[in-house]
Amino acid sequence: MKRWLKKIGMILVALLLAIQFYQPARNTDKGIASSIKLDSSYNIPVSVKNILQKSCYDCHSNNTRYPWYANLQPIRYFLDGHINEAKKELNFDEWGTYSNRKQASKLDIIIKQVENKQMPIASYTLIHRDASLSEAERKDLISWINDLKIKDE
Amino acid sequence: MVVQKSVRKKMLPIIKNINQKNKMKKMKKIILSLFVIAAALASCKSEKKETSITSVEPIIATKPSSDVADTLPSETSIPVPASTQATEENQISPNSGTVEKFSIQQIVTNYLALKDALTKDNAKGAANAGRALYANFKSSNGNLIEGKNKKVFLDISDDAKEHAEHIADNGSNIEHQREHFALLSKDMNDLVTTFGSTTKLYQDYCPMYNDGKGAYWISKNKEIKNPYYGTGMLTCGSVKKTY
Repeated sequence: MKRWLKKIGMILVALLLAIQFYQPARNTDKGIASSIKLDSSYNIPVSVKNILQKSCYDCHSNNTRYPWYANLQPIRYFLDGHINEAKKELNFDEWGTYSNRKQASKLDIIIKQVENKQMPIASYTLIHRDASLSEAERKDLISWINDLKIKDE
Repeated sequence: MVVQKSVRKKMLPIIKNINQKNKMKKMKKIILSLFVIAAALASCKSEKKETSITSVEPIIATKPSSDVADTLPSETSIPVPASTQATEENQISPNSGTVEKFSIQQIVTNYLALKDALTKDNAKGAANAGRALYANFKSSNGNLIEGKNKKVFLDISDDAKEHAEHIADNGSNIEHQREHFALLSKDMNDLVTTFGSTTKLYQDYCPMYNDGKGAYWISKNKEIKNPYYGTGMLTCGSVKKTY
């Protein structure tokens, strides 16, 4: 019984070591300027830009600032899963590809998500303390989006 | 993370007990056993192939083996594909009226089911209707629409599909469902305005929703049943227009 446990343990360790070699391409566009990014569509004030950068873009853009432990598997695997899911819902770096109708919908839902403190998501701010938004920052972001919506209409 | 921790906890005492030599032996054993497993798996696969071939052989013993795969189905199954084709045609033909002529009726029906579920605070029912609506948008063929309305439909459908999907995925969060429902209702308004409806529909308005910014919904009954607050404020709202 004990020998079996040891064997299983060793196999698990071997597997854990083996999966470290799986390091897929990172979520980055290497700073290439693109006309479909959010800041190509709007004039974003610096304060809002900072909010987006620190609290949104890690998941909702083509550029993630990876933490050191992203080099470890299977952590990386879960991170990639979250990023892909987030980008599917909303990718600020592909903002220009959305129709006007879709942009309006996304803006509306962004406001709701930020207002209700659903975003930035708790599981993310738990580790990235600096990414959580203060009340003032939430208001700042929401009022900027509200101004956009008025212009769009 | 959790897996890693538990593995480490289990492993620590074990690793400490094993000295270097033992470790090497163990590793060798494991690697060997892995090879054995891999070899076994590989041989299993090939065995399966062999057995499947041998089991087929007796049936087609009279024919050259290479042509068997091609000749067998075509000979024996000629009536089969013909009959399935026939039934497929039969199945299509009753629908072909709706398929050839683009219609949003299915979409409207499922939207109304979604709306009814929300008036009853039934998040699960709303999720189901949302799933059906998502399927409707996904399967509706915009290519059947002529002229510029095709683009209008694809634009609306692209957005509405996402709202339907979110409503389907949030069967335990009715407030989030309602946020998407408000946006979906805008899309539905444009859809019905552009393509019309075979049944009479009402556009209703709730002035309170979304912090007083208001929200619309569509109903087939003149009587107000507000989907935004459910049973809490069921009869609040007013008819704005009829389609």
